[in-house]
Amino acid sequence: MPDLESRLIKCFSSVFPALMPEEIQVANAQSLAAWDSLAAVTLAAVVQQEFSVQIDLLDLPELDSFAAFQTYLRRLTARSGADRSQ
Amino acid sequence: MKLIDALEILKQPVPNEAPKMQVYLACGFTPLHLQTFLAAQLRIRLPQRQVGINTGLFGDLTGNIERVEPSGVNALVVVIEWADLDPRLGIRRLGGWRPSNLPDIVQSAEQAAARLQQVLLKISRLVPTVVCMPTLPLPPLFWTPPDRAASLELHLHQTVSSLAASLSEQPAIHIANAQILGEVSPPSQRFDLKSDVITGFPYSLPHASTLAGVLAGLVDNQPRKKGLITDLDDTLWAGILGEDGVNGISWHQERHTHMHGLYQQFAASLAGAGVLIGVASKNDPALVEQAFGRSDLLLSRSDIFPFEAHWSPKSESVRRILDTWNVGADSVVFIDDSPMELAEVKAAFPELECILFPKSDYQGIWDLLKGLRGFFGKPLLTEDDSLRLSSIRNASAWRDSTQGSVSSSDDFLRAAEASLSFSLAREDGDARAFELVNKTNQFNLNGKRWSESEWLKFFTDPATFLLAVSYEDKYGPLGKIAVLMGESNDRKIRVHAWVMSCRAFSRRVEHQCLRYLFEDLGADTIVFDYQPTSRNGPLQEFFTALLGGPPVEQVCLSHELFLKNTPPLFHRITKAVHA
Repeated sequence: MPDLESRLIKCFSSVFPALMPEEIQVANAQSLAAWDSLAAVTLAAVVQQEFSVQIDLLDLPELDSFAAFQTYLRRLTARSGADRSQ
Repeated sequence: MKLIDALEILKQPVPNEAPKMQVYLACGFTPLHLQTFLAAQLRIRLPQRQVGINTGLFGDLTGNIERVEPSGVNALVVVIEWADLDPRLGIRRLGGWRPSNLPDIVQSAEQAAARLQQVLLKISRLVPTVVCMPTLPLPPLFWTPPDRAASLELHLHQTVSSLAASLSEQPAIHIANAQILGEVSPPSQRFDLKSDVITGFPYSLPHASTLAGVLAGLVDNQPRKKGLITDLDDTLWAGILGEDGVNGISWHQERHTHMHGLYQQFAASLAGAGVLIGVASKNDPALVEQAFGRSDLLLSRSDIFPFEAHWSPKSESVRRILDTWNVGADSVVFIDDSPMELAEVKAAFPELECILFPKSDYQGIWDLLKGLRGFFGKPLLTEDDSLRLSSIRNASAWRDSTQGSVSSSDDFLRAAEASLSFSLAREDGDARAFELVNKTNQFNLNGKRWSESEWLKFFTDPATFLLAVSYEDKYGPLGKIAVLMGESNDRKIRVHAWVMSCRAFSRRVEHQCLRYLFEDLGADTIVFDYQPTSRNGPLQEFFTALLGGPPVEQVCLSHELFLKNTPPLFHRITKAVHA
């Protein structure tokens, strides 16, 4: 799903402007000092608006890397696709 | 604006040499996305400034305001929510909503509002302040059914309204308009309950974005337009004067032309607030004269100056009106029901705001009136607003009197029976002076525009002074027409700003200003922070005559040279000194 990935990179880039695109794809909360609680909430809000999805703020602790966001979004979009087909 | 757009805007580089603009955002909740949106909105409005936003501690709105260091802040933005008046009015604290708690909640909200009022009055003397009253709904703590307002709930609203009304009387406090905010951010879509509980940020993203836009508009207090030029037929009234006759034109309910009456009423309201109103109409001037004799017109003949009613192109009429008003096209709005006339005028004056009068379109006319309030609205009315039109008439009469005779001769000036009133102050409380300094172009020492914060800070130095000059002659008063700001050390005065309205040219008011500095303030030498600009030619000519040659930066004038080159002065002078 390259479209999802490129849009997610754009979201990360807006919150972490110092990161290069290749750094974004391996970014995670442990290795990135700028990824504090404020950045986490901002990132979630940006992703929410960009993908028109609802991110449960209680899920924030598990959304701690680029890969985790990718998986989360795939799950959300698959679920909404399944909802639509019912 | 989406959050990602705001972040992208903030990523754009700003030139290093751009002046800094520090805004303090005071709120009791986590500022989070409101801070981001506010920074982005300010960046859009002020692209040549390095905007920085400071915030304070969570849950301590009043303390945050008290801790603001005025010298480091250009503007203060205060966003109040119900929980700031009493934490039990928010949802993060569980202090009890029993009916027996409610009177105490209301009382403590009143006390918090009184404390807020105190700190805001104090800080606004030093920093221009924007205040937003609660935008979120009250929680369901009252025992009445939701569709019935509870008495204590109404008391809370009254407390907030009283606070807003009292603060709005201060010239340096700007209150966000709840009605306008309601139009652009529906109340039911503002609150994000889960975000409030989990992160402490109570706003939905669309509300945060919209609110930030409104707040940024209040921080960036742009100068408003000065004049409205209106067409007559099918605009100020319904009908064609030349065809329908004086009694055939209308603006009444029974003729279904009421919206033209509303437009007249609105134009009269603008005239009363000091906006210049002119008429540009292709019409028979005699008929126009008769039409303005009708007693049921809501905009009277005396509200309008000048009338340009003839068959020449509208652009010619507009040119003559701009000359009479002596304002630039970018300060004026032109309204006409004919797209062709609008296009003709726009081609001649690209900077002029040209708007089609949407005749027969009720909603369109309503939207036009609201848009015009946006162009002409001002933070407060001064005495000079009511004098502006008559002073332009008088200035025109003055020009007519001097043309073809001994222009501005000593005899003429003596016969004018002019009097000048000097008012010297050591503080900033003169809204008209601030306005004059920021909108005058031609007789302007350096063209510098002062922000409210620079203005307030300037007067914290005890050596500074503000000299305001009002003028009147046998043709009538011109009101406050000159302002001079400076600092006095020993016998040397440095002038930072000096402006004079073009309405007061050729009256030797400028010479009297300098005489005041030499004789009343005891100066030996005056140094001017002069800068040539593309528009301050009249000031350059004045200096050239006074100095005996073209001025250079940091003009220095001795008392001796002033006496040598000053023509006879005939004004009667009155003086007042304020602490």
